[in-house]
Amino acid sequence: MSGESLVAVLVLLPVATAAASLAIKDERLRRLLIILPSGALIAASVLLLVQVLENGPLTFTPSGHWDSLILIIELVLLAYFVYVGVVRKHLLVLGLGATQLVLFALFKFAWLPSGFKVQPAFHIDLLAVIMCLVISVTGSLIVMYALNYMQSHERHLKLGATRQHVFFFFLVGFLGAMNGVVFANSLLWFFLFWELTTLCCYHLIRHDLTEEAEQSGLRALWMNLVGGLALVAGMSLAYQASGSLSLLDLTGFGTVAPVMLLPLALFCFAGFTKAAQVPFQSWLLGAMVAPTPVSALLHSSTMVKAGVYLVLRLAPGYEGTYLSAGIAVFGAFVFMITSVLAISQNVSKRVLAYSTISSLGLIICCAGINTGLAIAAAIALIIYHAVVKGVLFLAVGIMEQSIHSRDIEDMEGLVTRLPALAGMAIIGMVVMLFVPFGVLFAKWAALQAAAAAPTVWFSLVVAFLVIGSAAGIVFWVRWIGRLMSHTAAGAGAPEAAPPEAEPRGSLSYLVVAGLLAGGVVLSVLAAPLVSYLINPAGAAMGYSPALDTAGWHLKTSFGFFTPWVLFVVIGAALLLPALLVRVRTEDIRPVYLCGEHQASSAGGPVFTSLGDQAVLLATGGFYWSRVFGERSLNVWVNGAGIALLAALFVGVIV
Amino acid sequence: MGLISKARVKSPWIVHYCCGSCNGCDIEILACLTPYYDVERFGILNIGNPKHADLLVVTGPANRRSSRVLKNLYEQMPDPKLVMAVGACTATGGVFHNCYNILGGIDQVIPVDVYVPGCAARPEAVIDGVVLALDKLSKIK
Amino acid sequence: MSLTELLIGLAALVLAPFVGGFLRGVDRRITARMQGRIGPPVRQPFYDFLKLWGKAPSLPNRASLVWVWGYLLLTMVTVFMLFVGQDLLIIFFVLAFAAACLAFGAYSVRSPYAHIGAHRELLQMLSYEPILLLTVVAIFLQTGTFMVSGVLEHGQPLLLTLPLAFVAVLVALGIKLRKSPFDISASEHAHQELVRGVYTEYSGRTLALIELAHWYQLVLILAFVALFWAQPLWAGVLLALGAYFLEFVVDNVTARVRWTWMLSISWGKGVGLVLLNIVLIQFVFSSARV
Repeated sequence: MSGESLVAVLVLLPVATAAASLAIKDERLRRLLIILPSGALIAASVLLLVQVLENGPLTFTPSGHWDSLILIIELVLLAYFVYVGVVRKHLLVLGLGATQLVLFALFKFAWLPSGFKVQPAFHIDLLAVIMCLVISVTGSLIVMYALNYMQSHERHLKLGATRQHVFFFFLVGFLGAMNGVVFANSLLWFFLFWELTTLCCYHLIRHDLTEEAEQSGLRALWMNLVGGLALVAGMSLAYQASGSLSLLDLTGFGTVAPVMLLPLALFCFAGFTKAAQVPFQSWLLGAMVAPTPVSALLHSSTMVKAGVYLVLRLAPGYEGTYLSAGIAVFGAFVFMITSVLAISQNVSKRVLAYSTISSLGLIICCAGINTGLAIAAAIALIIYHAVVKGVLFLAVGIMEQSIHSRDIEDMEGLVTRLPALAGMAIIGMVVMLFVPFGVLFAKWAALQAAAAAPTVWFSLVVAFLVIGSAAGIVFWVRWIGRLMSHTAAGAGAPEAAPPEAEPRGSLSYLVVAGLLAGGVVLSVLAAPLVSYLINPAGAAMGYSPALDTAGWHLKTSFGFFTPWVLFVVIGAALLLPALLVRVRTEDIRPVYLCGEHQASSAGGPVFTSLGDQAVLLATGGFYWSRVFGERSLNVWVNGAGIALLAALFVGVIV
Repeated sequence: MGLISKARVKSPWIVHYCCGSCNGCDIEILACLTPYYDVERFGILNIGNPKHADLLVVTGPANRRSSRVLKNLYEQMPDPKLVMAVGACTATGGVFHNCYNILGGIDQVIPVDVYVPGCAARPEAVIDGVVLALDKLSKIK
Repeated sequence: MSLTELLIGLAALVLAPFVGGFLRGVDRRITARMQGRIGPPVRQPFYDFLKLWGKAPSLPNRASLVWVWGYLLLTMVTVFMLFVGQDLLIIFFVLAFAAACLAFGAYSVRSPYAHIGAHRELLQMLSYEPILLLTVVAIFLQTGTFMVSGVLEHGQPLLLTLPLAFVAVLVALGIKLRKSPFDISASEHAHQELVRGVYTEYSGRTLALIELAHWYQLVLILAFVALFWAQPLWAGVLLALGAYFLEFVVDNVTARVRWTWMLSISWGKGVGLVLLNIVLIQFVFSSARV
């Protein structure tokens, strides 16, 4: 297949599938209809990768009247946002939507010469293909997971009429829009796909149609419209400065001289809103009300990744400028502060949300550091984070349906109650947190890049990074500990869960296991991944490859480690005891309860109370919310975020 | 096992439990930790956890409420373990003997290895008791 | 990795427990002298270890023992990596994994004391991790490398240009070794801390393994301190011993603090000092920068 048709498949097939799933009411037919194209999507993205690896970047403009079509859809879309604002009586949405519509119409009809075309419309380099792989593979797997999830979700909600067709319309359509975002070179096209993701996100968040869901959806909408507005403003400024609306020109690869920084800053600002960076984090936290597959999709492969993709894509354009340093400080600050905020959260999905925002902050920080090593770290982080966050969200989704709670406190001892699922979640968290897994490799590279960066500002960045990663240890380890706490203490072997509690062969379980296996394998193969994908992707963006992978080491100019050796050593240090340690049942003793323990029950240790009653022992986690909580920190966090952004813009304008 | 037996004698960690004494003996036991007597020079540590301890030092008579806890604590100590009863009440019930709630000495509840007499037992006597206990410990294989 | 490096690493693995245990004995002895006592013999930690090893097994569950083995083995990995001259960042990442294993072991039992201890252990990690990592970055700014082998080759003593970072490392050292005023998750001495904090549910052999891991950890941390005056080697050793002695003094003259205070000391003063030092490097000692 030619590259052009692959691109057409990747963008249009999800849209077509979405449209079909809207029309088809039959459950089984829709299942089939969604699973088959998902496979096709994965295959197409792999083929595209092969093609780009062989022939270099793919650049083309589709023939036909696409420009007019896209313009019409764009205007309809913006009008729809205004309509939403009117119907929901939401002034912010209305105002922002209307401003955006007017500005865009003015820009398009009054400013741009008629028949203005951006050549090429698509420019697909290795970075775009990596993003496309992340979107297509992770996204498709999440869609498959959603097939099972939505059935029990609707059973749980006891809905009268099913709304699954609408759900899958937006869910699958999302993938097409995302692929469009990463492929587009023309900013006019980019803008359309960008706004389409906003639309899908809005509808997916409000899917359950509860009051809370509506409010969260509207909040997500207006915050993303702020970003859209920045995008329109950026486009006009960029056109005024350079007469071009091509991303290639903006990043200095085109024929036109690089433009001034302000439009780039506006584009990055749009990226920040989409990536839910401080002070816009509340829309992503609110998005938790949506069904879990939506959260998984928003967090791992789509939506927020569009934001960081834009910042990363523009990185060559602002290399070595004030803007670059500002973005690095801002990203590092977000990385730190959201990790700290996550310590105070006891709702699993909110912890995951904060951790997502913090990882995105790290990616943005890497883009701001803007050296070859930092860009490599950013790309690696995008890949690993997408896979692992997918695992964690999907696992939490299954847990939520099994234990009917999303509170970490209620997840105590899941390792005995749902061993397979809890095991996968724990490994997923370990992949997020500990060496030798991929996320840590990216952190390692990011720290080195920040340390080696040229200006004094980067000392601050390093300080933010180290505090943020220490905070990450706290909330992940506490959560893992909660999952692993054995409830049955008396007997040696934990009581086995009844097999019917865990449908291990079901599609949902397979998806989670598949993603997790992907994350682990990619971590072991970090060196080949770097040498075949990440280094060339950085090189295509104009950065010299900073990681030497000869002999499967990962080597920078300042340090090195060998992922597979660390895997063997650390794996042996943990697995050998797990396999070899033998404990006899008669050596098991009850826990120390000041001598007041009784024979423990199935539910856990029991002690004698003051009133001579047998009381089941309960333990809880500490969340230190008076120190790290949102109530005490949010004012400062948002204030500092706004101040940093303001400093960014003031510096750029001055 | 020679080395480990020797080490046992050199490092007895004690856990102290007061069954309901008048606190006279408790104060004397704590006096052993002070610089004047300094039992740490024999490797003796006062550790607050039966799971870590080798020597259970008990003061006070066994009564109906505390004997349950005493038995639980004793059972939580890993072998080899010894019990030292400090003071007259602990050995026989002492002045509390024949009270309505008193069972008698703690040997009604758990096996005792060393009895330290006194009301209250002097620190020197407590240290002597520990030495006796160590003698017994060194004979455990 | 050359054969010599490999041999040095293996030798470190064999010798570290003896050095660490001996230093712990010295610690107890000197502490006793500071309190006007005679104190136990210097070989006391080895007696304790052997005695614990000879106790009958008694466990809350199997998982806790598995995690303690993980804790010990991962700590040994970090010691090996340091002595063969690996990447400092990776060493501290592995060390974080090791420390987390101890917390996992405590979490795996439903015991109130162990859980509180584990939470406090996390707070301690939250406090010392930033200082250690930031100091590694400061060392990098001086030497141009993250590799221990590269730092060793650096001609000039780091202490001369990184005095403030060194002070911050002393704070981190106190937290990592659980010395007063930072002994909030458990204490190295027999101080009482909610029974025994994170160690409450361990006993016998398990506790002996933890003790062994602590000896390795002590050697690792002191070796890191010695990097501040790596050439000649004896100066580094003296520096490390001096720092360790300073910890005894601080341990004996201070009382335990609340965790919020620990956090504000380590983040405010500790991280602040290293940052200040980094800024100083860049402005004052800029000629020395690679």
